[in-house]
Amino acid sequence: MEELDAYINQVKKLPPAPRTLSKLLMLLGDPDIDATQVVSLITHEPALTANVLQRCNAAFFANGEPVGNVGEALSRLGFNHVFRIVAVLVGAQAFSGSQKSYGFEFGELWRHSVAAALAAQKIAEAKGDDANLAFTAGLLHDIGKNVLAEALEEHYMALIQQTEASQQSLLEVEKSLLHVQHAEIGGRLLERWNFPPELSTAVAYHHSPGEAKEHQKWASYVYLGNMIAHFMSYSFGHQAFAFRGRAEALDLAGIRSEDLPLFMIATFEAIQQVEVLFKI
Amino acid sequence: MPAPTLTGFQMRVVVGVADMAVSNNTAAILTTYSLGSCLGITFYDSVARAGGMLHIMLPTSELDPAKGQARPAMFVDTGLQMLLRETAKLRVQKERLIACVAGGAQFLDTKGFFNIGKRNYESLRERFQEHGLRLHSEAVGGLVSRSMFLQLDTGEVRIKVSGQTTEQVLWKNSTPISIR
Repeated sequence: MEELDAYINQVKKLPPAPRTLSKLLMLLGDPDIDATQVVSLITHEPALTANVLQRCNAAFFANGEPVGNVGEALSRLGFNHVFRIVAVLVGAQAFSGSQKSYGFEFGELWRHSVAAALAAQKIAEAKGDDANLAFTAGLLHDIGKNVLAEALEEHYMALIQQTEASQQSLLEVEKSLLHVQHAEIGGRLLERWNFPPELSTAVAYHHSPGEAKEHQKWASYVYLGNMIAHFMSYSFGHQAFAFRGRAEALDLAGIRSEDLPLFMIATFEAIQQVEVLFKI
Repeated sequence: MPAPTLTGFQMRVVVGVADMAVSNNTAAILTTYSLGSCLGITFYDSVARAGGMLHIMLPTSELDPAKGQARPAMFVDTGLQMLLRETAKLRVQKERLIACVAGGAQFLDTKGFFNIGKRNYESLRERFQEHGLRLHSEAVGGLVSRSMFLQLDTGEVRIKVSGQTTEQVLWKNSTPISIR
């Protein structure tokens, strides 16, 4: 923990904290959800409000009567649709930097993240768990790469060579080069930003879900969501497949390996519906 | 699927996931991006000067037969059938066609659970045999994601590994080039 904080504290440019997102997630997790609080949280940021309305209308009301305010969007679309639009808008700000050292072109890490979010959401839904939480964890699972990208700039050739030559995962090579890796950095950052512990832990262990203690299930949703995104050609950057297969993730998530293709198909359909979420 | 009409200058036609394009417009470059474990498959007939590209995601439509009907390009079996049928309409002949494949990446330690890339490729080999097709050149497996390009004037097929800036030739002037 101290090592992670020390690392985070010396980084010159941290991604902006998506505070609205952690607050919104908390509000929506409450069974006695209060719509007026949700509206006031979103409308607190005028630029966000305008964007939310614009995307809601583009995605859902292109051929119908557009919505004019957040309250109306919530009542016509439901909390979950609006939440996902808010999540991508707020989340995108945290991914606005360059991650060139990982070999990502502009927007690629973001598109991978949205695909992983939708896949994690589909799995959580199937298991009767909080789909918004899984979506958000999937969306932010690689936030640590934004933090490490700068330090990796001088090492990116080593990143490629070591994964190739010694069949190490990207995570293991990060650790050997920088003494920290993107999953634990991301998890700690989200913890500092007051996201719920199941979410920050899921991100911290999204490459080793078996180590996530009481949040193994959530880490497995994110692990599998990430994998499904790679299986669906939302797979970018250097050595995109250099991570380890963890068979235990299937048991911990409570799904069979035969189910994976079906979740890929479900995610494909979800992606078709929400093309609007992918535009950074 | 109709062939896109393009004139004047070279133009990229992007083939998305679970999608296909065929064309005899020699100004077109059929392109598909970031094939992870998915497979990009190209056909080209230099006599007909026509070809096609397919981007499949899963090994067999038995996983979801309804989806196989609605979206044939998602699966190896239904996708290949469609690619054969649609390129034949552009006078591409089985005996003349040059077939290339790229993708099929694999994670570390898949232990049979997460080996969709390998299963896609195995399924492709089987279907090729069934259809009496020969695979002329391939860039398959490994840890990398690849983009694939088919140039319809020459039939040249190129690969770009994700994160890298240079392209490699996978097929040119009837010469197979073996790359990994």
